[in-house]
Amino acid sequence: MSTTAFQQVLHEQRSALLTAWINHVAALGDQHGSHEHALDALLRSLFDDILGILERQPTATLTLEHEESLTLALRQLVGEQARHGSSASTCVNVVLTLKHLVSAQLVTAAEVTLAEMSWLEQVFEQLTLLTVTAFVAIRERQITQQSLSLLELSTPVLRLWHRILLLPLVGVIDTVRARQITESLLEAIARYEARVTILDLTGVPVLDTSVAQHLMKTIDAARLLGTRVVMTGISPEGAQTLTKLGIRFADVISRATLRAGIAEALLLVGQQIAPLEGKRG
Amino acid sequence: MRMSELPPAQIPLHETADVVTARRAARELCEQLGFGKADQTRLATAVSELTRNVIQYANHGECVIENRSTATHRCIWVQVRDQGAGIANLEQALTDGYSTSGGLGAGLPGTRRLVDQFHIESTPQGTCITIVLTKPL
Repeated sequence: MSTTAFQQVLHEQRSALLTAWINHVAALGDQHGSHEHALDALLRSLFDDILGILERQPTATLTLEHEESLTLALRQLVGEQARHGSSASTCVNVVLTLKHLVSAQLVTAAEVTLAEMSWLEQVFEQLTLLTVTAFVAIRERQITQQSLSLLELSTPVLRLWHRILLLPLVGVIDTVRARQITESLLEAIARYEARVTILDLTGVPVLDTSVAQHLMKTIDAARLLGTRVVMTGISPEGAQTLTKLGIRFADVISRATLRAGIAEALLLVGQQIAPLEGKRG
Repeated sequence: MRMSELPPAQIPLHETADVVTARRAARELCEQLGFGKADQTRLATAVSELTRNVIQYANHGECVIENRSTATHRCIWVQVRDQGAGIANLEQALTDGYSTSGGLGAGLPGTRRLVDQFHIESTPQGTCITIVLTKPL
């Protein structure tokens, strides 16, 4: 089979195209202040794969999913870009830059047929699709990881003073988080032999029956370990809503602010915060 | 754009995260219409209760939040509906302390106390609850 003008251009301009592409991508990356030489190797392997496909005989349907080396290189590239905080459009631009470079070369060369140009379109359409899919997959994985780490971060039990613990609750309290909160709290109560635990609800957006029930269970379990629970930070609207709902936190000490709650907790363990002068005198 | 021209929000309910979306939408509309903080909390909590019921008992459903303000009143209309198995005994379900799932049994009766109008229809083909919050301008 004889080489067509299309294939000849690709062959002759191969190294020029690659250099131009690497430079363009470097320029794209420089805007984010992140250019690494590992990237060049990745681009080179991707370039070889893409040109390999372009040089093939055009087919009516094209799927790139079975091109393992290409898919792998593209995923790696997108992964690198995403790690540096690049947007989806930057990633697509990397691919489209090569398309522009190739088509610029082809336009100057004569005897390139329409079928060949549409093959170019087809290949890069598929590449763009693949890039976007890879980007979305990476982002989704990031989101899952973040929500997991958020879950871990969001239940800190703080040791406020000898035998006083503080549990600031922030955000949505669902069954999974409630279980985690209870677990880490009970463990801390046992470890520090806490006499008082302050449960601060300032950061809880909605106190409905489900949240209230989770809290009640946590409080009951904490009590079994011998700690008194002081609830703080219920807003005036929250208090009104809770009573309308008919929820009663019987026998739980509650204070409007964390400040008042700390004072109460100190009182319960027989301590107080006093000015230095008073102590000297 | 006038407030009364805001399009109704239609929130599909499939998972727990949708409860948060629904109650946030309710709270936002409440705030936009100039309801006070107490009313915002009231409605957000009511929507939270009803949408959570959908997730818990029917798995799927939807929540529609509409601004139905008139010249004299501001008014928010919320409908939460599902195609679940329905509530076998409405009277019991609306009684304080009654729960089929080991809950507090305060959700439905509590929600009824939280809002200005409460309407419930339940058949074995599904449940539809409408709540309304109104306030004179």
